Amino acid sequence: MRLLISSGSWSMFIGRSHPLLVHLPIGILIIAFILTLLARREKWQHVQTALPAVLLAAAVSAIFSCITGYLLSLDGGYEEKLLQTHKYLGIGVAVISTALYLLERNKHRFPRLQLPAALLMVLLLSAAGHYGGSLTHGDDYLTQAMPAPLQRITGMNKAVANAATYTNIGDARLYEDLVRPVLTNRCYGCHNEQKLKGGLRLESIALIRKGGEHGPVLKDSLPEESELFKRLLLPEEDEHRMPPKGKPSVTPQELELLHWWIAAGAPANKTVKELEKTPRIVAVLEGMQPATPLDKQEFVPEESTGAPSEQKMAALEALKVKVMPVGAGSHYLMVDAINAAGFSDRDMQLLLGLKEQLIWLDLSGTAVTDSAFAVLGQLKKLTRLDLRNTAVKGNGIKALGNCRELRYLNLAGTAVNAEGLLSLQQNKKLQQLYVYQAGFTPAALRQLQQSLPKLKLDTGGYRLQQLASDTVIYHKVSG
Amino acid sequence: MTKHARLIKEANDQTLRYFTRRHFLMDCVKGLGAAAFSSFLASCGSSSKTLLDLAGNPMAPRVPQFPARAKSVIYLHMAGAPSQLELFDYKPALQKLHNQLCPPSLLEGKKFAFIRGVPKMLGPQAIFSQHGESRAWVSDHLPHFATMADEVSFLKAVQTDQFNHGPAQLLMQTGSARLGRPSIGSWVTYGLGSENDNLPGFVVLTSGGKTPDAGKSVWGSGFLPSVYQGVQCRTKGEPVLYLTDPEGMSRDLRKESINAINEINKQEYTTFGDPETLSRISQYELAYKMQISVPEVMNINKEPDYIHEMYGTQPGKESFANNCLLARKLVEKGVRFVQLYDWGWDSHGTDENLAIDYGFRNKCREIDRPITALLQDLKQRGLLDETLVVWGGEFGRTPMQENRDGKDMPFLGRDHHVEAFTMWMAGAGIKKGFSYGETDEIGYAAVKGKVAINDIHATILQQLGFDHEKLTYQFQGRPFRLTDTGGKVITPILS
Repeated sequence: MRLLISSGSWSMFIGRSHPLLVHLPIGILIIAFILTLLARREKWQHVQTALPAVLLAAAVSAIFSCITGYLLSLDGGYEEKLLQTHKYLGIGVAVISTALYLLERNKHRFPRLQLPAALLMVLLLSAAGHYGGSLTHGDDYLTQAMPAPLQRITGMNKAVANAATYTNIGDARLYEDLVRPVLTNRCYGCHNEQKLKGGLRLESIALIRKGGEHGPVLKDSLPEESELFKRLLLPEEDEHRMPPKGKPSVTPQELELLHWWIAAGAPANKTVKELEKTPRIVAVLEGMQPATPLDKQEFVPEESTGAPSEQKMAALEALKVKVMPVGAGSHYLMVDAINAAGFSDRDMQLLLGLKEQLIWLDLSGTAVTDSAFAVLGQLKKLTRLDLRNTAVKGNGIKALGNCRELRYLNLAGTAVNAEGLLSLQQNKKLQQLYVYQAGFTPAALRQLQQSLPKLKLDTGGYRLQQLASDTVIYHKVSG
Repeated sequence: MTKHARLIKEANDQTLRYFTRRHFLMDCVKGLGAAAFSSFLASCGSSSKTLLDLAGNPMAPRVPQFPARAKSVIYLHMAGAPSQLELFDYKPALQKLHNQLCPPSLLEGKKFAFIRGVPKMLGPQAIFSQHGESRAWVSDHLPHFATMADEVSFLKAVQTDQFNHGPAQLLMQTGSARLGRPSIGSWVTYGLGSENDNLPGFVVLTSGGKTPDAGKSVWGSGFLPSVYQGVQCRTKGEPVLYLTDPEGMSRDLRKESINAINEINKQEYTTFGDPETLSRISQYELAYKMQISVPEVMNINKEPDYIHEMYGTQPGKESFANNCLLARKLVEKGVRFVQLYDWGWDSHGTDENLAIDYGFRNKCREIDRPITALLQDLKQRGLLDETLVVWGGEFGRTPMQENRDGKDMPFLGRDHHVEAFTMWMAGAGIKKGFSYGETDEIGYAAVKGKVAINDIHATILQQLGFDHEKLTYQFQGRPFRLTDTGGKVITPILS
């Protein structure tokens, strides 16, 4: 008996030939379209004779595709909205290809309708094909595979769109954020308002508690006795197994989540941290902790900026200064003069053209002096500035007070004086200041530290103690 | 066949081998597709320098996928695998079991490299105390490093699946226990290029008298173009072998001959399109520049006395201390990846040098000052904030005393252990004074916060601005990556 039930029916069998059959009208209709275009040229007029036969074949195969498609849709498991769109577009294709055939037969009566109708057919065909693809492969099949620049252009950056609503897994709401997505992905396809398989709907907690035509699916706090969980564990061949054969299964992690949720009494509003955890669920939750957004970093402003001038970048690059976006797709720039030891105050003006984009500047080891500060003070977006091992003394360093975003300032190996150091008090966001070997006074440092208590001031000059153990060599004493 | 004819035949065979059917088909597709795609990309105004750049200079600096926290990496690999139980993983319970026979439950179904039969348990052979505000446990073997406890993130439950040195080192450095994959440094220079035009992007320094058991493959470029392999620099004698000009060769003449060779190579490249030719061109150019720049950066004589005192360096000697100082100098000059190997950590107890109670302590003393000095020196120069420092071996050591072939050993030693060992990372966006992961009460198995080798790789790439799943190289018909099919960024240790 079981064989009969778990095997399909004629309608299901024929329905499943839909993905194969649909390609026939697609191919034939495109050929028909090409022929239609060609036939308009004198040189190609002879192809005209093929058109009626081609269009008839297209219309017939399109109608067949519609029928098999309908049978396949009875099979269930497709996203309802997408399915409806695809269905009507598909019917549209069948109708218009039939119309095209009839037009061709009566083209003396409507000579002007043919081309617009053919164009409409191509549009319908593309749309129907696209939605059909989305149905079988998922609607992010294409966008997922897009190279990053294309994703940005089309605004299809799924990673951002799908970002979790919680930043810490502990704050996630168990039902809303973790369990519901599992049900959405695996169960809604059949257990929704329209389909109502087994009389069961799973779109809300109330509906889940209500159960289906065979009674409740939850037995409070006992996952092993709740249909909602039990059925997920059945072998794939079993007719009661959910999701049924051929539909994607629930992953082990999702199983653990459902188990935990039911065991906790299927709460509606509890967050993860409010509930008691088993070691197994801890492991699953660890894997679900969302990663800190990759492109977020305190040294990069959150708001975006315009594209830098290629010309101004090239002017710097001509001096062997490295100019680059801080990350792919960002307009913010890092400028590094590591290969341009000759970079000097004269060249500083070149940086001004990039002041809206320049956030990380490394001028360590270059020939710049105090006159550079006048320009540096205008680079208001700077978050990192490295002047290590340069001849700056700190006269004019006051101008850096305008760089309100400055967080990292490296003055190691310079002769910055106490007065210069104190003028940094305006840089309220400054977190790290390196003054190793610089010409500071302890008093000035203390004063600066007092006005910027959060600043990590590194004066360097570390020494390692000489320990007795530093020279002990361990040897086995023989005898 | 004459020698001449044989040579011609060989050359023809080579050419034919190059133009296989697949190459032909690929070129057909690529030629059209690439032309269309590159013009499309150009029209998108994408300024990221990727493929097109590669065709010019393979070492040109490239934009990371997202803003990076680390500019450079210093990786300190203790070849032979130091004992975590004598350094960071404090297990008082193991002391109580000292000299007792190992319970059979710990041995069932386990494989060891040398332990046979039933070994005895070996208590910690060090005195532990807590350090810094983080109260991290560090043993008295590393008195200087203990002062840096608040600078690093310990990973206490790192796991590997290789219990022999060669495969384990390969796994640690290339992501695969088998030969043929690119090393971490190669992936990094492939992804980011080199910052300094005059220095290699990936430098390798070894100490301890031997290179790692896995050989030079641990800094090889695998299937990546060979320009990305590590450049080994020696701390004694000429830094890079055969880099100086022979007598009678002036620098101008050298320049001219290199120009001529490169010109021929460029023609070769336009004809055959083999990326290895590009590697060769850029290697000639780099070598020419390195003739000046490398002896300069590799010379530690000019460092002030207090720096020598801090690191414990002795110029002209091959030592881990010298290598640490060099690592700082190289990173300061914009070298992307500095890989240190220190050999001699394989404390089996077979002889005095490889004894937990003798040689091991001497090894600890040799690295204690240099590592501490390196961290402090990077810190005072503001470089620790953009340099990721990684320390570790290729696996850990057993809580049991080794009994090779079931016999007593002349010295105290521990066997190779894959299930749990300690590594640490510091700098470049890594949490300060943090510890992640736990082992059971005798340090045998990891119980919490387990970290796989490819998790370490994923984390290194993450700090350099790369999603480890997206830094790939097409080879043998599929994209390869450092973390292969695994890897998860260890987010708990990121600040």
